[in-house]
This record gives sequence, structure tokens and C-alpha cells, in this order.
Amino acid sequence: MHDTGSDLDPITGFLNRIAGLSAASRSVARAESTGDGLAVLWLDIDRFRQINQSFGHVGGDRVIAEVAKRLRQTLSADCLLLRMGSDEFVALMPSLQRQTATEVCQRLLAAIESPLAIDDLLMHPSVSMGIAVHAAGEDPLSLLERADRAMIEAKRRGGKRLIVSGDEPVAGRLGVQLARDELAIEADLHKALESGCLALEYQPLVGLDGRIEAVEALMRCDLPGRRLMPGKFIPVAEKTGLIVRLGEWSLLQGAQFAARLRDEGVATRVAINVSRAQLNSRSFTPALQAALICANVAPALIELEFTESLFLDLSEIVQGNLRSARLAGVGMAIDDFGYGYSCLANLKDLPANKLKLDRSFIKVLPADRRAYAVVKAMAMLGRELGMTVVAEGVETAEQQAAVEGAAVDAVQGYFHARPMPEEAMLAWLKEKNTHAL
Amino acid sequence: MRSDTPGGGRRLDEVLERTIRDIDIPPRPTIIDRICHEMRQDQPNFKYIGEQISADVSLAAALIKTVNSPYFGFRRRCRSVHEALLMLGLDATSRAIAAISLREAFPGSAHYERFWQASAQIAALSGWLAQLVRKSGLRADDAYTYGLFRDCGIVILLRRFPDYMATLDRANHEAERAFTDIEVEVLPTNHSVVGSLLAQNWWLPEEICLAIRYHHDRDAIEQFESGLPAASRYLVAASQTAEHILQQVTGGSHTEEWHKLGSSSQRLLGLDESALGDLYDRGAALIASNS
Repeated sequence: MHDTGSDLDPITGFLNRIAGLSAASRSVARAESTGDGLAVLWLDIDRFRQINQSFGHVGGDRVIAEVAKRLRQTLSADCLLLRMGSDEFVALMPSLQRQTATEVCQRLLAAIESPLAIDDLLMHPSVSMGIAVHAAGEDPLSLLERADRAMIEAKRRGGKRLIVSGDEPVAGRLGVQLARDELAIEADLHKALESGCLALEYQPLVGLDGRIEAVEALMRCDLPGRRLMPGKFIPVAEKTGLIVRLGEWSLLQGAQFAARLRDEGVATRVAINVSRAQLNSRSFTPALQAALICANVAPALIELEFTESLFLDLSEIVQGNLRSARLAGVGMAIDDFGYGYSCLANLKDLPANKLKLDRSFIKVLPADRRAYAVVKAMAMLGRELGMTVVAEGVETAEQQAAVEGAAVDAVQGYFHARPMPEEAMLAWLKEKNTHAL
Repeated sequence: MRSDTPGGGRRLDEVLERTIRDIDIPPRPTIIDRICHEMRQDQPNFKYIGEQISADVSLAAALIKTVNSPYFGFRRRCRSVHEALLMLGLDATSRAIAAISLREAFPGSAHYERFWQASAQIAALSGWLAQLVRKSGLRADDAYTYGLFRDCGIVILLRRFPDYMATLDRANHEAERAFTDIEVEVLPTNHSVVGSLLAQNWWLPEEICLAIRYHHDRDAIEQFESGLPAASRYLVAASQTAEHILQQVTGGSHTEEWHKLGSSSQRLLGLDESALGDLYDRGAALIASNS
């Protein structure tokens, strides 16, 4: 069977997706009848979006062509090469069993990484690879899908690696779909950062004495026609490192709101969430300081919220950033305490002055007496450590009564107020007309 | 229960008294918010945005003038706000308005007349250079906007820290270490971080924000692994080259930046010595016609 010109992808000279799939079926049928074995490699270029963004589509095409060339040079001539999508390739490698296929692909991984010059810039392309070895009786689509899934697992682990199908945790179709969704969300976030689609909403932390302890800033992302939920986009932002830019944006935005509240006569601390990735960057302290300077706001009006997962691996950079924030006089709160990696030793050494008890303890109040006991003990512990203790997620009058009984210092949750846009928060605070500090 | 750490318990009134209102980040022009709002709609209403811009006569005039200027890189001339909008699209219009509004947005900007004049010259030369070198992803209008925003952090820091002028002077004469390294010896931050936050706050595109952030960082500009988009590197290179040409031609204040970043900039833009020499003459003519 001869391939006609239109079956070939012009950039790589490989079979295109449609022609490739029928050729793949024939390869599988042949392997099935000869019993010679067949390994499928699914390959995806890492950071391709960034490459395209950096070098334009012309540059992106050159990277595609170069990776294709390296594939052709490294793999034996009887391999069938397909271009599946913009930066995705498939190689069908006949007569190969798992061990040999893995060795060949390891060599390929190294070959692809040799430097490549585009527009005077040297780059080291890297790829994620998944391999699946044909099992007797397996249909072509399932074989390809297994290779794709292994590749996605390689990508999930940071790329630049090879995963053999069967070694990855079973993700199933859902897992594959999730990985694709993540790529779409990443693209959305880039867009949001330059088209004004981001906003902060605020939710108050109310002291048991009625004073406003602080307002917590929560990020919102409204794209044309739909709202991206933080539960969806924050994890993607953390994975891709975009959280650093989103975080810096919130620092300035939150600091400006703190300045505005002060000028409107309702000075209130603004609590801003910071992620591990942000705190683990040398640019955190200059960015925090720049935000304070730009907004012209006193550090005492800002509070950083971070989860205790930060302390799993407390690097020198993180410690340095926390130290300089504390020295500057910025408040610090541990968010979602008691849920994840709670370690009392950390609590002892923390620079934080506020402890926010995770909502999972509050949700089951007042019925769950054991949860109540934990809340009460943590409130006491926090107090002894000189920290303000806040109960998160208080939604009902009964829960409010319970946390009052447990003697926490302040409460956050729908019972008092839902998160609201800037203007509404300002109006709410004015109505309370209570100075927070 | 409150601790007596500064973050927790010091009397707030006392802390607040130390802050003075007039030192502040220039607010984002409301027209940019309107444009962003329109960009979020399924079918943006160009007519409405055109009316909003036209309502501010000086803004409308400045927009048409900017779009028609040679350093902005558009061949076709436009005669109305509506034409400018159609030619640029909403996002580029938003950037052009940011560029036009920046200086006015700074309170008391008359104090920094010389600074703004130099920025305007660098911006114009950058836009002009971007058209000459033709690098993929390097747009003349972006190079122009970037040239204006690149050092705006300096004005914010000058207003805030009385001694910053002396630091600037030292940084300008530092031959080896990065400019920003000198700043952070005496300040808690540096002008490139401050400038990039402002640019982000004004919703400027990622390439411009990052180029502001790393414009004194040779490693970030030279190594692919830094992850800096190529467009950002070209922006940095174009503005450094523009600044160098300006200093060569006018004999004005000489900094050490070309010594530190010149060879990277030349390589990025593909300019050899003779090409650069040629640019001095052509740049001189442009500067003369501009001032």
C-alpha cells in the first residue's frame, strides 16, 4: 500500500492522524498474525505552548520538524511514524518487546534533548513518552490509548521522562480527560492575566466580640460567558508555576484594597493567600515589598495565609521569606489547620500569629462531640501559643454557638457573610462601622 | 487573643499615621477597565468603546496620533477613533491607551520631566528598531509601550524613598553587578519588580510584564531555561539598544547597561557592529525629528 502525498504531514513527512490510524490498524493485525510483538510509543513535546509563545508558530514548527528528524534518526527504518496532533507523535515499533522498546526510547529521550538553536537562542527540547506493548487480542485503539495514557502520566510527573503502560496508576478515561482539561485551564489563566478577567472577593473574619478581625481575599476568574472556579484553577496554577504571577497580582490587589479600606475609615487587615511555590521563590520578598510600597499600605494591614503543607519541606528560601515578612510586620495565618499534615512541632516553631481551624471540624458541629473536643483543645493550644484562633466554615447558628463554647477568637463562614466583591465588602464594613483592630 | 508582634497588636492608629496618602501607585485608567469588560463579552461592542474613548477629547486625539506615529508600526493611517479600534483591536487599543495614560497617571509627574522625556525617546526608538530587526513575536507597538513602562518603577521608588536618587546614581555606574543588585542593598525591593507589578495591574500582556521584571537580568535574557518568552527577550534587547543609541547620539547620561547587556542585545536582534554603527546615524535623524 502506498501513501499518497495528502496522507503525509507536510512539516514532518510522517503520516497524518487519519492515514496513521488505518496504518496502525494494519500493523496491529500483522503483529497479531505473526506473533512478533509490537510496541507503541506516544510522544508529546514538553512546554510546547511556551515554545510557540516564545518563538512564534514558525519557530514551533521548526522544533516539531527537528524532533521528527531525531525520531527518524534514532528509530529503526521499519518503524511507522505518525503525527497525531500539533505536538504529538506516535511510533509503531514492530518486533519489539517491552525491554528493548524501553531501551530504544531511553536513547531517543537523550537524542531529543541535545540542544537546538532557534533565532539565536539555544533550547533543549524535552518530551514526555508513553509506551504500550501489544497484548494478544488487543485492538489498535486500546493499544494507542494505553500509550497515550502512559504519556499523560509522564507529563503529569513533570515531563522529560518515559512511562511504560502498566506502570502508571490506572487513570482511566477520566484521568486522561482531566489532564486535557488542565491544559485548557492553563491557557485560560494566561488569557485572564492580560484581559482583566481576575478579581478578588472578600469574606470577613468576625471576632466573637463583634469586631472585624480581617477580611480574606479570594481569587475569582470570570472568563467570557463562564466562571472558572478556584478549586479548578488554583491546582493547575500551582502545577504550572502560574500561581506565582497570580499570587503577585493578588498581593498588590489586596494591598490596594487594604489602603482603600483605611482611606474610607474602616481600616481592616486584608488576608492574602500565598502558595508554596511563591514562598519558595527568591522574588517573593521583593514582590511583597513592592506591593506594600505601590499600595502605600502599612505591613500591619496585610496578613499572609498559607497552609501547613508548606512545612513539609521547609527550604531555606521559604524560611528567609517568612522571616523577612515577619520582620516587616506582616501578619501570618496558618490556613486549613488540622486537615493535612498537622504537626505540633511545626506549630511550636511557626512564625504565625493566627491559626485557622479547618472547616472539616466545624462542619460536623455541634453533633460530633469528639470534633468539638478537638476544636476546644486547639483553641486553647493556639491561645497558649499567643495566636488568634479562627473557626472556618461556620454556616449555622448552632455551629456559631458551638465554636463560641469552644472559645475560639473569631469566626469565618456563610453564617456571617459570603465572599463578596470589593464594593459590597466596603459597604458591609461601613455598615458594621467597627474598626477592626 | 492577640499577640504583641507588630503584625498582630501594635496600635493601628499609630501605624497608620506614618502613611501618607499622596505616595501611591498610579491608578489604572477606567477606560482600560471598560475595554477589558467589553473583551469579556461574546460580541464586544466596538461602537460603545469608541464612544467612551471619544468622550475624552484629548485621549482620542492622543490615540490617533500614537497609532499614526512611525514608531507604532502601522502602515495605514487612521483618521478616527473608530478606525483606530478596528485597526488595533481591543487588546492593542488597551495597551496604546496604557502607554498614553502612564505619565499623566503619575501625580506630580512634572518633577520627573527629564525622566519621562528619556522614556519617550527610548520608547520611540524601540518601536522603530522593532520594525527594522523583524523578529518573530516582536511587535513595534509593544516595543513602544514597553519602552515607556520599563523604568516606571523608578518614579514610584523616587517618590517613596528620598535617598533613592543616590542609589540610582551608584547603580548607573556599576560596571559588573546587575543594576537591581545595587538597589536591593539598600531597598526592600527593586524598580523592575515594582514596574512589573504596575504593568500587571494595568493588564499589560505577559511578555511586557516579564520583560520589565527581567530587564537587568542577563541570565534570564540569554538562557532558554529561564523560561522567559522570546518576545520578552527581544523587548529587552530592543529597548537596551534604543537606550544605547540615544546615549551615543545625544551624549546624555551614560549608564553601564550596554557594557553588561549590549552583546546579548546585539546577538538577540542580529545586529553586528556595522549594522549598529549604521543605526546611530539613522537614530540621530529620528531623535532630531522627534524633539
